[in-house]
Amino acid sequence: MRDLFRGELVRLTLEEPETRARAEVQWQRDTEFHRLADGDPALLNSERKIKEWFEKQAEEGFKPDRYSFSVRTLEEDRYIGFLGLWVDLIHSEAWVGIGIGEREFWSRGYGTDMMKLCQQYVFAELCMERLSLGLHEYNARALRSYEKCGFRLEGRTRQEVMREGRRTDVLWMGILREEWLQMQNGDGK
Amino acid sequence: MKDVLRGKLVRLSAFDPEEMSKAFARWHRNSEYQRLLNASARRLLSSKAELKWMEEEASEMSPGGYFFSIRTLEKDMLIGEIGLDVVDWSGRDAFVGLGIGETDYWSKGYGTDAMNMLLRFAFTEINLKRITLTVFEYNPRAIRSYEKVGFRHEGRKRLLLNREGRRWDELYMGILREEWLELNS
Repeated sequence: MRDLFRGELVRLTLEEPETRARAEVQWQRDTEFHRLADGDPALLNSERKIKEWFEKQAEEGFKPDRYSFSVRTLEEDRYIGFLGLWVDLIHSEAWVGIGIGEREFWSRGYGTDMMKLCQQYVFAELCMERLSLGLHEYNARALRSYEKCGFRLEGRTRQEVMREGRRTDVLWMGILREEWLQMQNGDGK
Repeated sequence: MKDVLRGKLVRLSAFDPEEMSKAFARWHRNSEYQRLLNASARRLLSSKAELKWMEEEASEMSPGGYFFSIRTLEKDMLIGEIGLDVVDWSGRDAFVGLGIGETDYWSKGYGTDAMNMLLRFAFTEINLKRITLTVFEYNPRAIRSYEKVGFRHEGRKRLLLNREGRRWDELYMGILREEWLELNS
């Protein structure tokens, strides 16, 4: 059987709250990263506050509708990003959010590899029927990566976000279980 | 569309811990009821202790627990409880537990009706794949009722229970979504 947590470039793991907070506080200082990942205003939080937040998450224990991962490279074992899943258990739909905080790993296939692991986890392990995500229109790199993973553009909320004095659309993408399964067969896996 | 929580004799209504803890404390005074419901040793709890237990249980099960009280359509009387615990969301399998605490309402189809409502809720609202239950060998009334709504015998834990000087099996029953849909189409 395939290792669910190991891709071609990265592996999924979960770091301790201290490690997560130390990385997060660095990533937050990169406002471009923040603008690609999130629609909220760029804000800075102390390492202590972020750590408390992760600790609270850890104390809540296992929840079947929420999954959190940290991402490390296979080569050199660098901690580069995160992956989170929010699951609608009733309708078997998962929402994913991913981010690579370490800039030197942008545009090199790491995000695509993360997303492929995510799809495998969502469809082969959680048995979901669809996987959804949203992104800002100005995030062309992410759009290309998601298309490569088989996501289809399903809609857009026009002019939803105000950034740098301009309004921009939010794009919504999704992939169905059957579509993912078909891609796996196509790859000869 | 049908009212999913309304049957022929009963309706499934909200589970109010205040009200139910008092009802549980009352129903559990009946040791026969407890023996039909539960495998552990019989004990009595105050309504306050029942309430505490319920709150702990509910927080543990979230978001996989769905509990209802059972009320008669005729007199809106609280007669029992029924609940689902989704044990595996990937397999979409849940355990169901049912108890009619008011003994005047035993053997008259009230439990069967409540179970039918719960199956409808589980398969058409929560979109589950299968429902599992356990029942004791010495509870033929329940076994008949479960068979009536479509549960099939799937297995047994032999001689698990020690009651009244002899040992009894615990039976496992289950029903699949497709089977229920076929019975109710």
